[in-house]
This record gives sequence, C-alpha cells and structure tokens, in this order.
Amino acid sequence: MAIVEMRKLAVVGLNSGKQKILSELMYLGAAQIDSQDKKLLSDDWAALVKQDEGNSGPIESEIAEASSAIGALDKYFSGKKPLIVCRKPVGENEFNDRAFAEKENKELANKVNSLYKKILSLKAEENTVLTNIAGLKPWVSYSYPLDMRKTRLSAIQTGTFPVSVSLSDVEEKLSKVKNGGCIYQVSKDENLIYAVFVCLREDEEELAAILRQEGFNPVAFEGLSGTAQSCLEESEKRLETVKKDIASSEDEMRKLSDRTEELKFYYDGLVIERDKQKILSNLLKTKSAFYFDGWITKSSEEEVKAVLDKYGCYYEISEPEKGEEFPILLKENALTEPFEAITDLYSTPSVNDIDPTPFLAPFYFIFFGLMLSDAAYGAILTIGSFIILKMFNIEGLMKKIMKLFMYCGISTMFWGIMFGGVFGDMFGISALWFNPVEDPMTLLVFSLIFGGIHLFVGMGIKAYILIKSGHMVDAVCDIFLWYILLIGLVLFGVGNMITPVLSEIGKYMSIIGAVGILFTGGRSKKGIGKITGGLGSLYGITSYLSDVLSYSRLLALGLATGVVSQVINTLGKMLGGGIVAIVAMVIVFIIGHVFNLAINTLGSFVHSSRLQYVEFFGKFFEGGGTAFNPFKRRTKYVEIVKEEK
Amino acid sequence: MEVMDIMSTISFNGQFYALLGAAMAALAGIGSAIGIGIAGEAAAGVVSEDPNKFGQVLVLQALPGTQGIYGLLIAFIILLKVGLLGGDGMVELTVSQGAYIFASSLPVGLVGIFSAIAQGKAAAAGIMLVGKKPSELAKGMIFAAMVETYAVLALLISFLMINSITF
Repeated sequence: MAIVEMRKLAVVGLNSGKQKILSELMYLGAAQIDSQDKKLLSDDWAALVKQDEGNSGPIESEIAEASSAIGALDKYFSGKKPLIVCRKPVGENEFNDRAFAEKENKELANKVNSLYKKILSLKAEENTVLTNIAGLKPWVSYSYPLDMRKTRLSAIQTGTFPVSVSLSDVEEKLSKVKNGGCIYQVSKDENLIYAVFVCLREDEEELAAILRQEGFNPVAFEGLSGTAQSCLEESEKRLETVKKDIASSEDEMRKLSDRTEELKFYYDGLVIERDKQKILSNLLKTKSAFYFDGWITKSSEEEVKAVLDKYGCYYEISEPEKGEEFPILLKENALTEPFEAITDLYSTPSVNDIDPTPFLAPFYFIFFGLMLSDAAYGAILTIGSFIILKMFNIEGLMKKIMKLFMYCGISTMFWGIMFGGVFGDMFGISALWFNPVEDPMTLLVFSLIFGGIHLFVGMGIKAYILIKSGHMVDAVCDIFLWYILLIGLVLFGVGNMITPVLSEIGKYMSIIGAVGILFTGGRSKKGIGKITGGLGSLYGITSYLSDVLSYSRLLALGLATGVVSQVINTLGKMLGGGIVAIVAMVIVFIIGHVFNLAINTLGSFVHSSRLQYVEFFGKFFEGGGTAFNPFKRRTKYVEIVKEEK
Repeated sequence: MEVMDIMSTISFNGQFYALLGAAMAALAGIGSAIGIGIAGEAAAGVVSEDPNKFGQVLVLQALPGTQGIYGLLIAFIILLKVGLLGGDGMVELTVSQGAYIFASSLPVGLVGIFSAIAQGKAAAAGIMLVGKKPSELAKGMIFAAMVETYAVLALLISFLMINSITF
C-alpha cells in the first residue's frame, strides 16, 4: 500500500557477544547492516576504530566443492526433474540438523567429487584407447613387431601414402637412387594407403626425402611393441576394462544422486556461514567492542530491540532525517501485491515518491483484459497460473508475475464476455456490450477515455506530491491549469453533442487554462525566458495528445487477438467434414490458439506495462531508490520455514 | 496485343486492386522476418555465453513478430470483406473500390516492414542488455515496445479505413 516506514539503527556492543547477535539478527532477517566505508574515511572515526573482517576464504572453497558435487550428481540424476526449479520448504529444525551435519556432508561432497574426477579421467583414457585402436586397425596384417625399425643392414619405416599415389611408380623412382628400396602395401582405405618401406640403412636418409615428396607420411607407433595384432588385442582388452570401470563408477554416481538433497542442505548451510563472515566487513571494531549501523522497518523495532537488549548492547533507533535517503521496502495488500511486480520491474521508488503500485493496479488490470479480451484465454490464464502456483513453490518476482496473470485472466474473461470473444468467434457467442471488430470506433473512444483518466490520475498524484512537499504554486500552475485546459478542450470539442452550453463553458475553460499556462510556465526563468518558457510549456500540449493517442493500442491489441482467433477458426472450418478433417481441425485449433494466446499474452503484458511506464509514470514517478536489503539467510535450494518454538 | 489485353483487363479490375491490397498488408511479414532474424542473431550470441538465458531472450526475440500478425490481420479482413473467405465467392468491385482497399492496406504494410526491422534492432540491443544484466529484462522489452507503437498506429489507421469502406 505504501512505502514502509524505516528506522535508523546504530548499535555498539561487546565483541564477546558479536557472533551470537549477528546470528540472531540474521535469523530475524529484519535489519539492513550498511557498509561503513564512509566513516572510515573520516579521521575522527579512523582514529578510534578499524574495519572488522571475517574469514570467508575457507568456507568459499567448501562452497565451491559442494557446488561442483551438486553439479556432478545432477548429471546422473535419473528421476524426473521438476518443470520449474523451486526451493523446497523445510522446517527450521530439520534444516539445522541436516545443513550442519558437517562431517558427513563434507565426506559425501569429497566422495562425489573424486568419483566424478575418476570418471572424467577414465573417459579421457577411453578416448586415447579408441584413437589407438583406430590407428592400429589398418596394420593388422603387418606381421612384424611395430617397434622393429631396423635390422642389421636394413631400415624399416611404416607410414601412409595418399590413395592417388601408385606404389610401383614410387618404387621405380627410388630404384634410380643408390640401392633403391622396397615398398609393401599393408592395407588401403578410401583415403590412404598403409605401407611399409624397407631399404639399406645407409640409404635411408636420402630415400626418405624422396618418399616425403611423394606424399609419404611416416607413422611412428610410439610406445607400442609387438605386432599390430597383439597391440590391438591389448588395446581392446584395455578398452573393455575402462568401459567397465566407467559403467561401475557411473552406477555409483547414480546411486549417490539420490543424496543430492543432502548436499543442497550442506551448500545452503555453508552459504549462511559465509554470509555471517562476510557481513563482518560492514562492522567497525575496537579491541573489545564493535559498532554497526543500518536500517530496520518500524514494525520490526520491538523484535530487534529484544535481541539487542538480551546481549546488553547500547543502541539508538531514530527516524530518518528530512531528505535523508533510506532504503525502500514496499508493502501491499493482497489485492495489489501482484502488481508490485510491475513497479519492481521498472525501478525502486525514491524516498520522494509515493508507492505507485495501488494506483497502477486497477488500470493494469483493466488494460491487460482489454488487450487480450477473450473469455477462454482469460480462463486458461487464470486456471493455469493457479495450478502452477499450487503445484510449485515459486517465490519472489516470479510468484508475483504468476499471480498477476491469475488476476489479469479474470479481467480478460470479463472483457471477453463483454465483446463476445470465446476462442474468438468459434462458438458464435454474441457480445454482451458490442463487438469491437464490427464497431471499432466505439472501442477507440473508450480506449482514449480510459487513457485520459489514467493520465489525469497520474497528474493528480504529481499534484499530491507537490502539495505534500509544500509546493502549492507548482501544483496549481503545472497540474490544475492543465486540468482546466484539457477538460476545457474536451468539452469544447464534444460538448456540442450534449448541449451547446457545455461547449461554450469548454471554450472559456480552455482559454483560462491556456493563458494561465502561458503566464506561469516560465516563472522559474529569468528575463526573456519568462515569455518563451510559457510558450514552451503550452507547446507541451502536443505531448498530452500523443500520450492519449498511445492508448489506441488498447483497441489495436484487442483487435489483434480477436481477428487472429477468427483467422484460426476460419482456417479450421475450411477443412470441411469427415473424421480426418475434424481431427485436422482440432489440431489447427489447438496449435493456432496456443500460439495466439502466447503471443498476445506477451503483447498484453508488454503494452500494459508500457502504458504504465511511459505514459503514467512519466507524469509523477522518479524512481531510482535503493531497495531494502536486510541481513538474512539467503539460501539457494531450501526455503527455511520458521517454526514456533 | 495479348499482353496489352491482359494489362488493361487487370488495371480496370477492382478485384485485382483489392487483392493487391491484401498482399501489400501481408508484406509486413518481411519486416517481422528480418527483425526476428536480427534479434535471433543477438540471442544466439547471448545463449552461447549462458544457455540459461534462453527463455528471457526468446521473449525479446518474439517482439518484432507482431507486425507480421498485424499485416495478416488486415489481409484477412480484406479477404473477408471481398468475400474470398467465408463468403459466396468474390464480390464484383469497381476500380475505385479496389483502389480504396489497396490504399488502406498501405499503412500497415509499409510501416510494418520498417518498424519491425527497427524493432528487431532494438530487441537485439535489449538482448545484449539481458546478456549483461538479466534483471533488466523488462526495460529491454519496453525499449522494443516503444518502436511498436507506430506499427500499432498504422494497424489502427488501416483497420479504420477498411472498416469505413462500404460497397
């Protein structure tokens, strides 16, 4: 409903109780502990205190171990993985028992990591052996030992030629040099000829040079002895054992993967411990005392006081000074809470803002429904998000967005019924109000009216902020004169439809507004600026025009959903009768409507947001505040549910 | 002479212009295809760094697709209007009626092509943004949606024009 009131907290306590106090504050999760870098820069503080520091290094390395073990086990997890990964809710006691069973957890992590390392090295070996085997296969029929590179008189080389080479030609070339040499073909495949070359030892160097010119590529068989056949058999045996080892290790991993959860508890426990160490760097210390400051919400004041009193700390809790930046926390009621996602996605409000969520909520709700405007789609959205919310423990922003869709589905159903859209025109249900495809002008007018109201509300909020901060004159000149001008213009334009008097009133309102703006628009400027400033302000009317026209997207996106549904339905019905055609029709309907629902839900989401961000927020919202970031347990895998003691 | 005959039959045929209009509107798909292509290239780059961002960048990549849908929408309405779809065959149209329909297809067709390409570029930049700062997805979406405004306006004008043509 609003920005939560914050209280400044400053605490001095004794080092002996430090860890316990921090643990309890973390458990409460109610206090933000700020960095003290600025204080350390001032000489007065620096003379007295120094920055505390925690020792998070060893824990970090344990976290890395745990994390890689979880990752490794994840690869071998054979059970069903959930569609959406969520944190598992766990009671306080169970969490403490399992997360801090340090010895067992650590053993498990080590076991998994070393096993995984073993698998990786076995796999690398498997690859080497496979390459060896592939290299040996062409040489199977070569019956001399591979490492026999020479005899008393002769030199032997093994190697390959490209298939295009004729061995007899090469031999002939060799025969012209010295004593010549012999080449024996061992085998041949589509690319290479595998051959053995034999010559006298004294001729080897010279002949080898000729061979290379002919495309001979020596193969050395380093590290192998015995015949190719025996080497191959050996390698195949080795391959078999390696494969067996891999299989058994992987089996073991698969068995261990049931225990992933233990590691996840371990991981979260470690993260909590690490955060406790890390937060110390935000503390200042002397020999026997410590100091920190930060923020708490007004509502958690008593709880925090109780902790601090228990350990005999000295503390001050005060209201923020006027104009002081404090961290922002928004609190909504059940109805507006999902719409906080829209504010979150834009920016955290600044301390001068008021929470825009309750104001944008009704408009977002209406606009989204208008754009999607199909009762069936709305029902699918609402029921679908409801089921997802029930089945999965979604948290944070995603939860808000899911709830947002659930709510907006209701609005979509409403407008679908008003405009007669149930899967488009599939069932030919007539509209309760009117059909926008047949009567687009009416909806265009209503879209612009909705837009006008939206903009006026935005301007009203700006006026409220201005008045609250004591800028009454600004509120009158920048907002109320515009109200008069804009309402006047509208009356002047359309008042005739009701009674000419309205139009007459509108005329004078417009003149008053325009003249007022002309004279006051340049009030903050000097000299000639006073005149041009007023003209500039008045020229701003074009931006109101474009703002209002922007709401025509309400009609356009509504039409897009309706007409695309109509296209799908027409296509489906064109297929004619008969069982095959009916099956095909159902397939066309399903694929088509799923596509239409997806693309138009995205469109409605984006464009309803845009109308808030650009047109609405542009009127009053500053943004750019810092979000409240309390010191609490930030777990990744489990959600700790506090239990009543 | 035969070619001249065909040419003159066509240019004095209202139905031909109406169909040309439907075709023109559907051409907006060119823009969407190029736009989604541009965004897709950027998306693949980001996913190569972090496969987990697939869902986020896919949403951004889909944004320039709407122009093609708007074009389809107008083309469909034209086909319905001239009785080619869901009617008893094509109605007879005078040249001026056909030309009206053709004229009304121009906004969505032309604006669709160019705005979708521009939107594709904005979406690609948004995808880069998500690559560096995943939490800023909404802003990336808004940047791309700013471009779409003009396609929406063109759709609206085309629709209103067609809707007010009577015969």
